[in-house]
Amino acid sequence: MSSVIQHPLVDIIVIGSGASGAAATWRLAQGGFSVVCLEQGRWMNPADYPVTKKNWEELSRTTWAFHPNTRQQLADYPINDDGSAIKVFMYNAVGGSTIHWAAHVPRFHPSDFRVKTLDGVADDWPISYWDLEPYYDQNDVMMGCSGIHGDPANPERSPRQMPPLPLGPDGQRMAAAFDRLGWHWWPSDNHVNSQSYKGRDACNNCGPNVWGCNRKAKASVDVTYLPEAIDYGAEVRAGSTVFDIATDTAGRATGVRYYDTAGEAHFQAAKAVIVACNAVGTARMLLHSASASHPQGLANTSGLVGKNLMFHVYANAVGLFAESAPTYKGAIANIIMSQEFYETDPARGFVRGYSLQMARSSGPATTAIANASWGSAHHQNFAEHFGKSTNLGIIGEDLPVQSNRVTLEPQQCDRFGIPIPRVEYKLDGNSTRLLTHGVQQAKTALLEAGAQRVIEKPHSVNAGWHLMGTARMGDDPARSVVNAYGQAHDVDNLFVVDGSVFVTSAGVNPTPTIQALALRTADFICNERTDLK
Amino acid sequence: MSTATLTETQRQVMPAVMDRLIPAVEALLGAGAMGLLEEVERLTAEHDRYGRALVQFLEALSDVMSSAENENFPALDGAQQDQAIQKIEQALPQNFATVLEVVCLAYYNEPKVHVRIDWHGGAPQPAGFALPPFDAALLDTARQRPPFWRQD
Repeated sequence: MSSVIQHPLVDIIVIGSGASGAAATWRLAQGGFSVVCLEQGRWMNPADYPVTKKNWEELSRTTWAFHPNTRQQLADYPINDDGSAIKVFMYNAVGGSTIHWAAHVPRFHPSDFRVKTLDGVADDWPISYWDLEPYYDQNDVMMGCSGIHGDPANPERSPRQMPPLPLGPDGQRMAAAFDRLGWHWWPSDNHVNSQSYKGRDACNNCGPNVWGCNRKAKASVDVTYLPEAIDYGAEVRAGSTVFDIATDTAGRATGVRYYDTAGEAHFQAAKAVIVACNAVGTARMLLHSASASHPQGLANTSGLVGKNLMFHVYANAVGLFAESAPTYKGAIANIIMSQEFYETDPARGFVRGYSLQMARSSGPATTAIANASWGSAHHQNFAEHFGKSTNLGIIGEDLPVQSNRVTLEPQQCDRFGIPIPRVEYKLDGNSTRLLTHGVQQAKTALLEAGAQRVIEKPHSVNAGWHLMGTARMGDDPARSVVNAYGQAHDVDNLFVVDGSVFVTSAGVNPTPTIQALALRTADFICNERTDLK
Repeated sequence: MSTATLTETQRQVMPAVMDRLIPAVEALLGAGAMGLLEEVERLTAEHDRYGRALVQFLEALSDVMSSAENENFPALDGAQQDQAIQKIEQALPQNFATVLEVVCLAYYNEPKVHVRIDWHGGAPQPAGFALPPFDAALLDTARQRPPFWRQD
């Protein structure tokens, strides 16, 4: 960086504008801090989302693919996940992966924070469900939650902002099957509007909202948190790829170095830095920010930065039904969920558990490609599947293992010369047994619902939506990277607010927990770190 | 954007391949005879992954054919064509899956196909689908169960 554009000191830099970065930016700006949120991607125009295009299925597999190596957009950095049993998914834009998510927002259970105490595995979190509960509620207000209270599988909670999304005939069929089996089910909590909310339209059940919602019925943080944050005075600086976090001789963060889209180098000074780049990007950022005062990487005295990477382990069972209303009508995911097998039962042969989540079918090309059938069998196979399949996904708790990790790939760099991340990940025996059990239960439920045939898919490789664990929180600096407020043990003005801080993964989608943690950290800074203002 | 382009020979072979991958059904011609090569070429031109896969596939098919008695793929009967394709499917499964993906995208983006499979075609928005609102009575059974989340 020979010529560096210097920017005036601000209170706080937030790196990343996704689920957690946007929530933190909003709360801190509301609290009166001067905040600059740096985002490597661009602002999206919802009118251009694939759902508005005739060739949306093509786009979903190419320029809108889940895997950044397939998508290869300007803001994407390559990832070497050749050594990972699950491929890494993320989206890089203002709004981060909430542009590209299904907006399913179940909460962790109280037991999820106490797995060491209850089941003798992994570690307990330094916080409880009850510490996060008010922030879950605050997040639901900001994002807008469709759902209904009274779920016996979870603690009682506040009424949601909107009623559940329609179940549709396929969802009702599954619900009735769960009832007959005597198994738990409940309508999924969604950050998708079932009614108009805060100026955003209601969902009109088009289906493939995971590739962006032009109606803004699906809450992505570019249409929820960030506009309000900007109203409070925050600046979102899109097209800013952070190179590293700078530190002084005492080891404290002084700001960040970044490139703009034209390749110009910048330095933004700040009193504190918050990292919100997801569990792959954050590990990469901290490791790449090694310096004389942090030779192993920033905040890495414990040696745990990048380690304990968790996804959720996924499997699927696909039920094929003979006659039915088409199963592509309605939001593609998050219809109903069963947590019958969520908590540990030693008789099952594995610890912890999983959720069963119903998902719908999709368009014709997607159906045909998924079946990979050609020749004389093609048309019959297609006819059996198209509009007639219901998927039950098994989302299992993934326990932390240090050898599952993110490191820097020294020989490969992105277009700015930053080493790309290398991801190594293997399923352990507990996960394999959990998924095997889950597939059999899902099959039982689908057959009970009337499926003529069930296709078992015992392990999903393309399922790395949930990135967690690579800068875990804890009370012991030797065994964790950040404390219970996301503050780095090694650097008092450095915070991490994304899924990196998770100690364990639970068996549900992580985003509302990520956002609740980000709000809690931001609240801590507002209340306890006025020295940063 | 892809720099991969098909040779004239490959352009003659590809429709025959497409007809084997997605054959004629009822009144519809197969994907090749339907004239979808142009759409396949558009996809391969716009997306490098598709372009590379298709060229590699057709080069592999050419190699398979050069070791056969009859090198002219379109002139083979259907069973022989399938055998040649199966050899590549086994030798280059990822590559073959990508080529099948391209052909499926072209075929299922075709309005004549939409009519046959009763698909609305077009963009999902703004039409969406009408579904009746959630009926809370559906939860009558589920609500009878006492809380069972782990409280120890």
